[in-house]
Amino acid sequence: MNSDKIHKLEKFNIKIEDRRIFIRLGYGTSSGNVNDQTKKIVLKAKNKLPSLLQPTAVFKILDYEETNKHPIFKDAKKVALCICTIGIGLEEASSKLLEKNEILDGLILDTLGSEAAEDVARQTDKYIANIAKEMGLWPSKRFSPGYSIWDIQDQAYLFNILPAEDIGVRLTDSFMMVPRKSVSFRINFYEDKNKTSRSFS
Amino acid sequence: MNKPVLFEKMKSAVIEGNKHEAEFLAQNAVENKMELNEVIEKGYIPGIQKAGDLWESGEYFLPELISSAECMTSAMKILQPELEKAGLSTKSLGKVVIGTIEGDIHDIGKNLVASMLAANGFEITDLGANVKLEKFISKSQEINADFICLSSLLTTTMVGQKKLITMLKDKKLFGHIKVMVGGAPVNSQWARDIGADGYAENAMTAVSAAKKLI
Repeated sequence: MNSDKIHKLEKFNIKIEDRRIFIRLGYGTSSGNVNDQTKKIVLKAKNKLPSLLQPTAVFKILDYEETNKHPIFKDAKKVALCICTIGIGLEEASSKLLEKNEILDGLILDTLGSEAAEDVARQTDKYIANIAKEMGLWPSKRFSPGYSIWDIQDQAYLFNILPAEDIGVRLTDSFMMVPRKSVSFRINFYEDKNKTSRSFS
Repeated sequence: MNKPVLFEKMKSAVIEGNKHEAEFLAQNAVENKMELNEVIEKGYIPGIQKAGDLWESGEYFLPELISSAECMTSAMKILQPELEKAGLSTKSLGKVVIGTIEGDIHDIGKNLVASMLAANGFEITDLGANVKLEKFISKSQEINADFICLSSLLTTTMVGQKKLITMLKDKKLFGHIKVMVGGAPVNSQWARDIGADGYAENAMTAVSAAKKLI
């Protein structure tokens, strides 16, 4: 029996550093390389963000015994499973720009979307890690299906446990998430601090 | 304004990523009944070539290159229909069918490649994302394509690149239709292993790789 309730987060204060966008656009770490036109488009796109983002996350915390006991959950006392997204609005806006041959605007908006999705995942990760600490447990870093020994097909397990449709996320036959700017992950909660590589400063 | 000055302005508009200027000059060329193939060859193409050179020398980054490609495409949207009306055609470097393989819904990288190839004189048929392998082949046969460009962001879908080459071999089309592959998990070793004709790490190298295969 799954003991924990479904948690849903809807209040996010998305913060995107220009530096991260410029790195993703290939400028490297020196912002001196960035031309004025690109800076202007980034600013314009950032101003559009509030109307394009619908950041939400759902997660659930399971006892190890309630999981499918996949090796990636080994030694965990509890496991948090999570799906988060920025919604479909930004993707649609970006696609429209690309169709209109406004390729750079579309690319920059898409890049902002990737960073926004990452920020939602980061904030949710932090929220879950705090729950682990309140339980007196040590949270692992977050890991997503498709990385390490966790096969991409295990997305289906997360989507079986979590009501992804409540936040507008679905899984394709090839285990991709729609909207694309979505992140799924798990965090193991350990009794032994030495089991996690997460840093606690 | 004499032709060399005008051509220089067109070239500069593309290099600087000034879309309005590129469109304005193209419209002017049409209205002044200039020889449009000459306009393209002496005005706009040198601009996109120079942008590519600046990228190769490290002076331009991806956004500048995309801006230049956008200018080129915008100008061509004005010039091409006029050429067609006059029963003329632009010089095409080759017909390309491009898409992201079935199972993969990511397409921003593929879109950039398509945009850069189009700006550099290739005729693009973009099948979009999540495209069945059979569709790549049937469309290529239908339009008599020179290249198929296959993008894949995932290790789970990159195997489709290998499968498509096998399918082309089975249909005795391999060699007639060249295959270029790319995408985040793809590298030159993989391209060689599966027998692809070309590999591109990014949108700009896709142009040079495609030109090599002509």
